[in-house]
Amino acid sequence: MKRSPLAILVVAFVVFLAWSVALRQALLFAVGVGMGAVLAGARFGFTTGWRRLIERRDPSGVLAQLLLLAVAAAVSMPLLAAYPTDLGAALGPPSISLLVGAFVFGACMQVADGCGSGTLYKAGLGIPLNMAILPLFAIGSFLGSATLDRWLALGAVRPYGLVAHFGAPAALAITLAGLAVVGLGVVRWAGRSAPLFDRKLLIGALLLAALAALNLVIAGQPWGIVYGFGLWAAKLATAAGVFDPAANPFWSEAVNAATLRQSVFLDVTSITNLGILAGALWIAAGKPAGSGSAKPLTGTQWIVGIVAGFLLGYSSRLAFGCNIGAMVSGISTGSLHGWIWVPMAFLGSLLGVRVRRRFAF
Amino acid sequence: MKNPLTILLFWVVLTGFFAWDWAHSAAVDVRSEPPLIAAGSGQAPTGGHCASTF
Repeated sequence: MKRSPLAILVVAFVVFLAWSVALRQALLFAVGVGMGAVLAGARFGFTTGWRRLIERRDPSGVLAQLLLLAVAAAVSMPLLAAYPTDLGAALGPPSISLLVGAFVFGACMQVADGCGSGTLYKAGLGIPLNMAILPLFAIGSFLGSATLDRWLALGAVRPYGLVAHFGAPAALAITLAGLAVVGLGVVRWAGRSAPLFDRKLLIGALLLAALAALNLVIAGQPWGIVYGFGLWAAKLATAAGVFDPAANPFWSEAVNAATLRQSVFLDVTSITNLGILAGALWIAAGKPAGSGSAKPLTGTQWIVGIVAGFLLGYSSRLAFGCNIGAMVSGISTGSLHGWIWVPMAFLGSLLGVRVRRRFAF
Repeated sequence: MKNPLTILLFWVVLTGFFAWDWAHSAAVDVRSEPPLIAAGSGQAPTGGHCASTF
């Protein structure tokens, strides 16, 4: 498909959303298209950045991610302080669930070669494994949300927000100091084995930070991905009669029960997810046929990849977000859970890259 | 390896899901749509998020 007819379809869908759903949703879809185009255009892979740091001591991907977090925090934290009732932070509870979920997610994202945003944009690019993983990711995300109460019963404390406790200036200073410490550690680990910066990734980081801030300003909540996936599977399970949301602690909550009844086009995360897919497809449409093709996967690789995709969905709910909802949105809006998510997911990635090598991905 | 037919099938299934959902969900009340920009609207954000426990 060429880019021009695709652009017409995207504009037509924006008009449909503005006319039949809500102007806000049309705007958020456009933001999502931008996110997808930047993620796919810059090949801004969180998973790949971590893997290159671990295997090749290449810090460029992780340093670009740190820039994204710093800029997003510098914009988001003052906004949260200025509009405390209109905007909400991505606050997840520090918990056993978070520790387990982030570790498993970090491992599986290396095996499946895609985190939350990575799975979306790579599916949009037409990469077969990521397209196949998407429905499994959704089912896993749904089952994770449906069993979340049992995981939380293992132990959890209340979410902790830096902006609410210290105010925006101190929260930003703490966050930037934390990111600087991580950055220094990364540079020290990398040594001189690879260039520190990649221009394309740095531009991608700045654009993604701007789009994440736009998401917060427009939607009132930070950028998220996996809630939308779980919602899609929950809708299908409910319609099929295999799931009773009224009997489930998570899906019977007023917010989720209302979201389940209404069109997914009214859901904030679903509409940006759809935008990311469309944005990545638009990037793919501009590339020559056959570009980016890799060798076909073996049967074993397919099975391992699909299982990892399911676990990605399940664990992302236990971890209160993926690399976007927990890491980017959590840290940039001052949630303590984001700072717990990162080291646990990185430990998981250390295992995941070994599993990846074991199955010769 | 990318296969145009697989990509087409992916988008047909995805579009089919959204069309099914549009037909079976509660009708959208366009007269009570959310504010265009949340910041400054005076309204608390609504809707689920990955980080929330509810």
